[in-house]
Amino acid sequence: MNGESKPLSRRLVPYWLMGPGLLWLVLFFVIPLYFMARLALESGTLETGFTFSWEWSNFSDAISRYNEQFIRSFVYAGVATLIALVIAYPLAYAIAFRGGRWKNALLFAVVAPFFVTYLIRTIAWTTILSDDGVVVDVLKAVGIVGEDGRVLATPAAVIAGITYNFLPFMVLPIYASLERLDPRLIEGAKDLYSSPRAAFMKVTLPLSAPGIVAGTLLTFIPAAGDYINVLFLGSTNTSMVGNAIQSLYLNLRDYPTAAALSFILMAVIMALVVIYIRFAGSEALMGEEEEAT
Amino acid sequence: MKNGAKGMARALVAFGVLVAALLLVACGGDDGGIEGGADTGGASTAMAEGQPSGTLTISNWPFYIDNDTVPDFEKATGLSVKYTEDVNDNAEFFGKMQPLLSEGESGGRDIMVVTDWMANKMNKLGYLQDFDQEAVKPAMDNLVPALQSPTFDPDRTFSLPWQAGMTGLVVNTAEAPDVKSINDLFDPKYKGQVEMLTEMRDTVPLVMKADGIDPKTATKEDWLNTIDKIKEAADSGQIRKFTGNNYTNDLANGDAVAVIGWSGDAIQLQADNPDIQFVMPTEGCMIWADNMVIPVGAPNPTAAYAWMNYVYEPKNQAQITDYNYYFSPVDGVKEILEKQDPQAAKSPLIFPTDQYTTNCTNQVDPPGSDEDVSEVEQAFQAVITG
Repeated sequence: MNGESKPLSRRLVPYWLMGPGLLWLVLFFVIPLYFMARLALESGTLETGFTFSWEWSNFSDAISRYNEQFIRSFVYAGVATLIALVIAYPLAYAIAFRGGRWKNALLFAVVAPFFVTYLIRTIAWTTILSDDGVVVDVLKAVGIVGEDGRVLATPAAVIAGITYNFLPFMVLPIYASLERLDPRLIEGAKDLYSSPRAAFMKVTLPLSAPGIVAGTLLTFIPAAGDYINVLFLGSTNTSMVGNAIQSLYLNLRDYPTAAALSFILMAVIMALVVIYIRFAGSEALMGEEEEAT
Repeated sequence: MKNGAKGMARALVAFGVLVAALLLVACGGDDGGIEGGADTGGASTAMAEGQPSGTLTISNWPFYIDNDTVPDFEKATGLSVKYTEDVNDNAEFFGKMQPLLSEGESGGRDIMVVTDWMANKMNKLGYLQDFDQEAVKPAMDNLVPALQSPTFDPDRTFSLPWQAGMTGLVVNTAEAPDVKSINDLFDPKYKGQVEMLTEMRDTVPLVMKADGIDPKTATKEDWLNTIDKIKEAADSGQIRKFTGNNYTNDLANGDAVAVIGWSGDAIQLQADNPDIQFVMPTEGCMIWADNMVIPVGAPNPTAAYAWMNYVYEPKNQAQITDYNYYFSPVDGVKEILEKQDPQAAKSPLIFPTDQYTTNCTNQVDPPGSDEDVSEVEQAFQAVITG
């Protein structure tokens, strides 16, 4: 009896460990997803009630009506992710390798603004970037913004807002991967006559690739669905797919199309992520192989 | 080890029960889900019961009440009031509330303040309760004759005006001194510094009037054409953005110089910047009323009536009106203001002369069936969403 139950309980251990997470996923992801899928296939209006009717046209409708917002979402999110990467990598590198005893303080400085809520931070930007504000005056003086120009209510403001709001999600994973990096590997590369540049390209960068992948995903995915930045920093010409969903859901009460649009957004993001991980994943692998040989 | 196995068996059973419960929830939900549909059972009446006590929760628009009325009311009645300013736009507020209201819940709200057309819509959907006329009689007795029988609620069975007002131009007169007509908002001189309301029934008819179309007799095509005109201006960047009540921020920090806005807000903004003024458009304004309504599921209607009767006391109403500068729905306010604040008593924003509002129109719905209205709404939302 004892002998038999022991391996069984052992075998069950991973499932027990997975249990809470699994339950969470079922409760707050799978079940809502099911309802959303149903809703996306319903037809009708709020006044007459919605009925389930396999209404696949909700999907084609959503795409044809909101393709502009879709393209904008992915372009804005993509550009913001790139800018965040360009800012975050040197920052994380500096903190990890040159931070010394200030490491924790510097990390804290990266995260500190985010103790203030998302909304307040974004609304604060409307004051900072306001037409009569100092920032716009300076940009005008330098010639980046035209004499009668403005920053708010332009794509630039929206992208800047997204970049700012998701920057820590980029910095922290990259920092974590750089921090773990064994400096002796870089020394080793240099001993083997690598130039600093070659050492960085062949050792540091490949070893921090998992951080870059995690950071870009953590930035890109929420950014593509974001609508707050457009709401406060953008205008009608900069609306993203999140704004379309919000308008469909809250203003037009067209729940089925809103649900269909959400599904399409999810599917496209998933497809992009899978492609990206394939590509980036093999890249990282190759780096490790090179290191091994 | 035996005990361990037993414990695990028990846990397994518990897990099974949980899964079964979840499945039940999922299947039971098939009939529920999010569903609309008009409640044809007719509205129930929110009866007052005994003395008001407990907590009163109110949802109202920003810039609509002075800082003293709520504490004064609490002192006078012993009730505690949760006064939230969470209505920024009728359609958006409806969108937020609809899932609750369709389940017969109000999220704890006893009173909501919505514009005429929205009160009408909510009532048709069965989301509102009728008033206990006896309980609300003191307030009704003080209601000005002009607001006693609107077409959507001729006997005031489910709505009582909070304030009425005008939609026109709110202008920073130092930056845009020559904005007098809605057409001036399309002047390239003000490109990117002009804003309009997300409230379709304000924005579209005003632009229509500027084109010489009477909103009362406008056809669906008139609405759609006007929306097209607004869309062009939005696409070209002439219109900076569409806002709810939060246009006040952009005027205050200088990002907008002329907007379509509400009469009383200008007075609030003058505290910061005296150049901001309400300008009656040469082609006239839109007139509307915002109404207190009692939603289904309101936990404390008795307290709601106490509030209605309190704010309909001319003395208390004068205090509110003197702050928000909208039309007061209460008789006898003018006499009190003449003594307390003669300047306010003279303001055409609070007590407009017939001559002042001569070209103004009462807010209207787009014409036609529900489908026609929703087609127009969709076209307008498409402009706002870009």
